[in-house]
Amino acid sequence: MLGETSILIVIIPLISAALTPLVGLAREGLSYLCTITALTLSTLASVHTLFRVLTEGTVHYGLGGWPPPFGIELVVDPLNGMMLVLVSAVGLIVAVYSYRGVEQELTGRMVYFYTLYLLQVTGFLGILITGDLFNLYVFLEIASLAGYALIAVGEDGAPMACFRYIVMGTVGACFYLLGVGYIYISTGSLNMADVHLLMKGLYDSKVIATAIAFILTGLAIKMALFPLHVWLPDAYTKAPSAASALIAPLMTKISIYVMIRILFSVFGISLFVELFPLNRIMVWAGFAAICGGAVMALAQTDFKRMLCYILVAEVGYMIGGLGLANAIAIRGAILHILNDAVMTAGLFTVAGIIMHRMKSHRLADFEGLFQKMPFTMSAFVVCALSMIGVPPTCGFFSKWYLIHGAILARQWPFVAALLGSSLINGILFFRVIEVGYVFQFSTPAHTHAGEGMNRMEEAPLSMLIPTVGIAVAIILIGFYNQAIVKHIIDFALPKL
Amino acid sequence: MKTLSLISTIIAGAFLIYGSMDMPHWGDPYSPASTHVSPYYLRNSLKDTATPNVVTSVLADYRGYDTLGETTVIFTAGMGCLLLLKKRRKK
Amino acid sequence: MFESLLHHYNYWMFIGLMMIGFYAMMAKKNLIKKIIGMNIFQSAIILFFISTSVKGGGVTVPILEHPEGAQGGFVDVMKYANPLPHVLMLTAIVVMVATLGVALAVVMMIYKRYHTLEEDEIALIRRKQGLKC
Repeated sequence: MLGETSILIVIIPLISAALTPLVGLAREGLSYLCTITALTLSTLASVHTLFRVLTEGTVHYGLGGWPPPFGIELVVDPLNGMMLVLVSAVGLIVAVYSYRGVEQELTGRMVYFYTLYLLQVTGFLGILITGDLFNLYVFLEIASLAGYALIAVGEDGAPMACFRYIVMGTVGACFYLLGVGYIYISTGSLNMADVHLLMKGLYDSKVIATAIAFILTGLAIKMALFPLHVWLPDAYTKAPSAASALIAPLMTKISIYVMIRILFSVFGISLFVELFPLNRIMVWAGFAAICGGAVMALAQTDFKRMLCYILVAEVGYMIGGLGLANAIAIRGAILHILNDAVMTAGLFTVAGIIMHRMKSHRLADFEGLFQKMPFTMSAFVVCALSMIGVPPTCGFFSKWYLIHGAILARQWPFVAALLGSSLINGILFFRVIEVGYVFQFSTPAHTHAGEGMNRMEEAPLSMLIPTVGIAVAIILIGFYNQAIVKHIIDFALPKL
Repeated sequence: MKTLSLISTIIAGAFLIYGSMDMPHWGDPYSPASTHVSPYYLRNSLKDTATPNVVTSVLADYRGYDTLGETTVIFTAGMGCLLLLKKRRKK
Repeated sequence: MFESLLHHYNYWMFIGLMMIGFYAMMAKKNLIKKIIGMNIFQSAIILFFISTSVKGGGVTVPILEHPEGAQGGFVDVMKYANPLPHVLMLTAIVVMVATLGVALAVVMMIYKRYHTLEEDEIALIRRKQGLKC
């Protein structure tokens, strides 16, 4: 009965996005239900597609029935199959979680919020599933535009932060488009598989070198790689909590996925390793990102801003892991995409809950939170342990692969950066835990909560269940990481 | 800031010009861009889609998914402007 | 170098335009000027793509004349410009217009809040109000 589910993954949220404002006319709450339904169906479709890919091999779907280099093709292989499940599932969980936050922060604008939310997820899924370079640009812009709008409605100062993001994001997208133009001029094709075949004879062409440089720079802006990260902390800190819980974990990971796709499936691994010092540049970029992100995170007094800088550091893990260019490190980098998306989603949902209850995300206002919200804070501790890389949680395993790969590649500074950043993450999160736990008996005079200090004020269930669910997922991914690596990621590795 | 912008502009421009050195000559009818995929559209447009305007047939048929994306972009921008500019209801 | 200039001068001109836009996006302090720079950059990319579709002299727009091509007859490919870049740029134009719309909406929000569009003045206002930039 279920024949071709790959196209449904994108089309269901797309059509629902058009329906959402219509049902929202009748009653605002219906737009929420519409979002949940669409994302549930989309998640089911992507799970089905992933299983099909794992049993039957790569799925190709020519849109409109046109053969690949002439029409646009959807391609699902184990790598983007996994990413599709990840993105649609995180999208669904955050959507469930978002209702109360949106109700509070964006009163009267819920319908538009959920429409854009669906378009954002559509953009993400469209980027992941496509096999065409130009189509990727179109969906990249859908995701970016929805992201700009979702970020700009945040707290005071958000429009200015968003404007910087628009300027930098447009430069990134234009650089990508320019790179695609250079590829098109020298190969005459836009289909990724076709370009890969045509690329073989063009490795020493200056046009291709420029195309690589511009596409990678454009993507580096989109993923906030260290010196180009300046737009990220402001934009994600000031976004509404529901929007930052969706965009912060996914946007950077999707850009990294696109980078993997471009480097390995379009340009080819041999070009990547042999002809340019590109892999060494990437290791050093990763090193710089980890150090820069970690140091900047230490200086923050705002919880969400601190998370943003940790996110910048985490991008360094994955870029460095790809640059190491051995099977173990790339396995670690891909596993880390999965883990980091889940962990970051967990941390930003916790930040959203605290925002919902305390109306603040400054660290100083976190006093006594463990007593007030024991479940939320337990979920937070799980996410924090995973960020640090403590064994039963999933963060440990990807870091393990990355460090192992870095040792094999003899990149000692990168090993040191990985270990050092775990240490700094430890300091950062224990500082939060200290404020939330140790200070709970201090005088309540200078806190906002006043006399409510000792009452339990757990978050509403619709926010709490998704957050705890993410925490459970972190532990489950940790336990089943072997299975994930063996059945999915090892098929996704490029042939070295 | 001004010098930094100027330097990065010059670097980007120089890199782009360096890349363009190896490009096929302008207007070369045998360049890869004109010989790989596009002749298929010109040859088969009438047969496949019964449309003499090849741009239309590629836009709406061969690469119709891009056009779907394009309309979605417009929809996204419209919804985004509504979300941003709608007056907040006074409580 | 001169040889290259002779054959690629169109690309070089568009690269020049792109860099004007790129510089304006980064160096200008006024938000609207930044947006104008963004548009120059994007328009230059459009011109760049379109110029790749040219094929020597004597080519015409890619609209087939009826007798050829009908019933699968022979089409002289060299007679028509390459249609694909036109299609891509039609999509890209729309994307860029949409970006412009959202950017202007955000600028409106900024103006409502600060009553100025100069970046440094906004930073000054924020600092006066004791907010981090």
